[in-house]
Amino acid sequence: MTALLDVKNLSIRFPVKRSWGRSSWLYAVDDVSFEVKRGETLAIVGESGSGKTTAALGVARLVHASGGTVNLDGQDFLSLEPEDLRQARAKVQVIFQDPYSSLNPRLRAEAIVREPMDSIGTLPVSERPARVAELFEQVGLRPEQMKLFPHQFSGGQRQRIGIARALSTNPELIICDEAVSALDVAVQAQILNLLRRLQRDLGLTYLFISHDLGVVQHMSDHIAVMYMGKIVEYADRLSLFNNPKHPYTKALLSAVPSVDQKRKVERLLIPGDPPNPLDPPKGCRFASRCPFVENACRAAQPPLDEIAPQHKVACIKASH
Amino acid sequence: MSISEETPPKARSPFSEAFEMFRRNHAAVVGLIILLTIIGIAIIGPRVYPGDPFDMVWIPFTPPGEEGYLMGTDYLGRDLLSLLIHGAKVSLTVGVSAAIVTVTIGITVGALAGFYRGWVEEVLMRLTEFFQVLPTLLFSMVIVALFGASLPMITLAIGLVSWPAVARITRAEFMRIRELEYVTAARAGGVKNGRLIFSVILPNALPPIIVQAALMVGSAILFEAGLSFLGLTDPNVASWGQIIGSNREYILDASYTVTVPGVAIFITVLAISLVGDGLNDALNPKLRQR
Amino acid sequence: MTEPLLKVENLRIELALRSGQAPVIDDLSLELHAGETLSFVGESGCGKSMTALAIMGLLPEGVGSVASGRILFDGRDMAQMSDEELRGIRGNEISMIFQEPMTSLNPVYSVGEQIAEVLRRHKGMNKAQAWTRATELLDAVRIPNAAARVSDYPHQMSGGQRQRVMIAIALACSPKILIADEPTTALDVTVQAQIFDLLRDLGRETGTAIILITHDMGAVAEMADRMVVMYAGRKAEDGPVRPVIDHPRHPYTKGLISCVPHLLAELTEERPDLTEVAGIVPSLGSFGADACLFASRCDLADDRCRSQRPPEVAFGDQHSACWKADQL
Repeated sequence: MTALLDVKNLSIRFPVKRSWGRSSWLYAVDDVSFEVKRGETLAIVGESGSGKTTAALGVARLVHASGGTVNLDGQDFLSLEPEDLRQARAKVQVIFQDPYSSLNPRLRAEAIVREPMDSIGTLPVSERPARVAELFEQVGLRPEQMKLFPHQFSGGQRQRIGIARALSTNPELIICDEAVSALDVAVQAQILNLLRRLQRDLGLTYLFISHDLGVVQHMSDHIAVMYMGKIVEYADRLSLFNNPKHPYTKALLSAVPSVDQKRKVERLLIPGDPPNPLDPPKGCRFASRCPFVENACRAAQPPLDEIAPQHKVACIKASH
Repeated sequence: MSISEETPPKARSPFSEAFEMFRRNHAAVVGLIILLTIIGIAIIGPRVYPGDPFDMVWIPFTPPGEEGYLMGTDYLGRDLLSLLIHGAKVSLTVGVSAAIVTVTIGITVGALAGFYRGWVEEVLMRLTEFFQVLPTLLFSMVIVALFGASLPMITLAIGLVSWPAVARITRAEFMRIRELEYVTAARAGGVKNGRLIFSVILPNALPPIIVQAALMVGSAILFEAGLSFLGLTDPNVASWGQIIGSNREYILDASYTVTVPGVAIFITVLAISLVGDGLNDALNPKLRQR
Repeated sequence: MTEPLLKVENLRIELALRSGQAPVIDDLSLELHAGETLSFVGESGCGKSMTALAIMGLLPEGVGSVASGRILFDGRDMAQMSDEELRGIRGNEISMIFQEPMTSLNPVYSVGEQIAEVLRRHKGMNKAQAWTRATELLDAVRIPNAAARVSDYPHQMSGGQRQRVMIAIALACSPKILIADEPTTALDVTVQAQIFDLLRDLGRETGTAIILITHDMGAVAEMADRMVVMYAGRKAEDGPVRPVIDHPRHPYTKGLISCVPHLLAELTEERPDLTEVAGIVPSLGSFGADACLFASRCDLADDRCRSQRPPEVAFGDQHSACWKADQL
């Protein structure tokens, strides 16, 4: 099966003003490649500042990529002209993190869900109301709620509206950007189950951005771990969680508190904070916090090597 | 399924909730009533109390209440009440038109700067700063002196010196809102830039602009009065400022000729401020969440 | 058993609504012993933070007030204390750290000044003493190079470091109780692990009792000795952590544990759907009802649950307010 989404060498940088009018570039995403097969879920995990959200928004062309290619369903997404891009946006939709700021407070729920259909024109106007009603049912909202305004919904219901909006154009790929992290645990379970059901029923492909490893473990087929703009490890679900190779992945996993008493991982403490992203180290970016660091790590950036089928690690010490 | 067991709420738009908030602010409601009364006087007053306000009707400097002239007469023997009633329309028109000019320029500049950023923002904000540092009174005096003291020119002059404040507020709101996820969502949904600016961001940026515009009406009335006091006004139109300006030499001998229009300006501007304050509370979502 | 450090008895906090008084905290009793870590768990809007604020005597003016019950600290009832007496306890014998380290520090003062200020107010230290102690405290919360960092301003520090400063301020007066309200929610997971380790070690070294407010069952399992599960202003269940997690006696506790996808010792291909706790926390207006407030979301609920408030049933040290506790 070929990949629905094939991202190669994606780089995204932002200009940063420094004192006295000097400016420099912050590489939020630095030469990142990954692919997602149709109907599967790729999770990108990492902590704040890792560039996971920027990478996803870059794929959707919601932030400008400075380099690389994004091939979506055979189409080079990054080189599309404005009008073609608007049409192609129907194929990629985003579910956002904050159920409070992701809905326009001045629109009724039905108008919010309709908006992408109206601006891309995926359906004849006469069929749109019926489609909105269908979407409301699919995400578990009642028809009489269509006329309400966002502030009249609870957080979970708002997130359902966001999901309905994302589904409205029949997208191939849905980017879930921390889609459940602002929700209470009980509501989070409802939304995660809904997302999984929709994926089964509609054959959706997810690019799932999250910092919550428990949620990632539950939702994804493959996982890419990002640290300071780079993918440090990429593996299928079982390999990554049962057999992590990169020291950062190990530290991340060991830091998650769990109710499972058998999960007595020895905590791999990584001290301090990530280095200044404006001035990244020349070698491995994790070197300053890595408990296994040696001189060679600081000399050059380790490549993302395949150490086993479906398992890539960017660490010179991982292969041995 | 996430369905609360409460009775389904009525669809209440943000607008109707704001109105509800406004109604609870008594000072603002009083201000609104006063303001509506003044507007009413401005509209129907001239019909109820006809006659040319510039006609000399009696002996100059007749104190209020004497000889049937409720507000007395001024230095030319003109009926002050008639001047006041006809002046209400002029002053309010100047105030509202100047506010419209201000808001139009301010929103356009602020929205473009806040939405596009980059060099567009650089250029527009330098322009804004240029107008902001101009000495406002002097600049408007120059315009009026150069192009003649007609009401439209005065209105334009007031608008030209006042828009930077609105532009700054608009830009700040645009910069805040354009980063919100619903705007990104609209972009992901293929919404064009024009629609993004005017249908998605602008309606959400309006509350502070509306408040500013309301207060603008008040300050424009004051500004016009100031220009009139300096004699920079259309002598053929009776505005409140013009009444004060033309009677200013007699301020010690017949103080009521200046006090009467002065009080009218004071009450109007106060009422507008109260309404603006009420709007501020009503439109501020942080105060509404209770 | 020794006398508890803090004893909350039948606490009821009422909130004035347009429709009348609603109990945001209803008949809550709990005990905290010296040196132990107690965790409050529940969804937002269940009264966890409200309880903490009541213990601090910091209930927001006009929002809520203690209607009945007692909060006994060292044998004295805090609900009856004057503002003056409360100020003497607050920040001194009981301190608190909050969720948002970005906004809890004053940006115009250096962190050293902010720590020293607390020491001068409560301990009567002079400027030099307070500054020295501030440096020691920064070192105690494991900020590297404390002597230099003490004159840094909050914006020069990362989120994790700021939370450490908050902990240093909270511990400045060696309090008997430290209340931590979601202290790591805004932080990354590796930083959370550092903060948890720090809190645990400091608790052990100083004997400070910790109240940890969280929604994360994993954090409870790792950090706390005992836990109180709160739902809609009432205590649903309490007891020692391990028994409660291994065998919850309240369907809400059970739901809270099983609705989260936990990291397991050995992951398998199998991925069943998560257990859903349907619906959301009821609105404040219905908090006072004589019924089990969880009934509307509970699979086991019957008529009795909907019409009578369940009493507390004991299973050893574990207490559950559920009519069906023995069936679980």
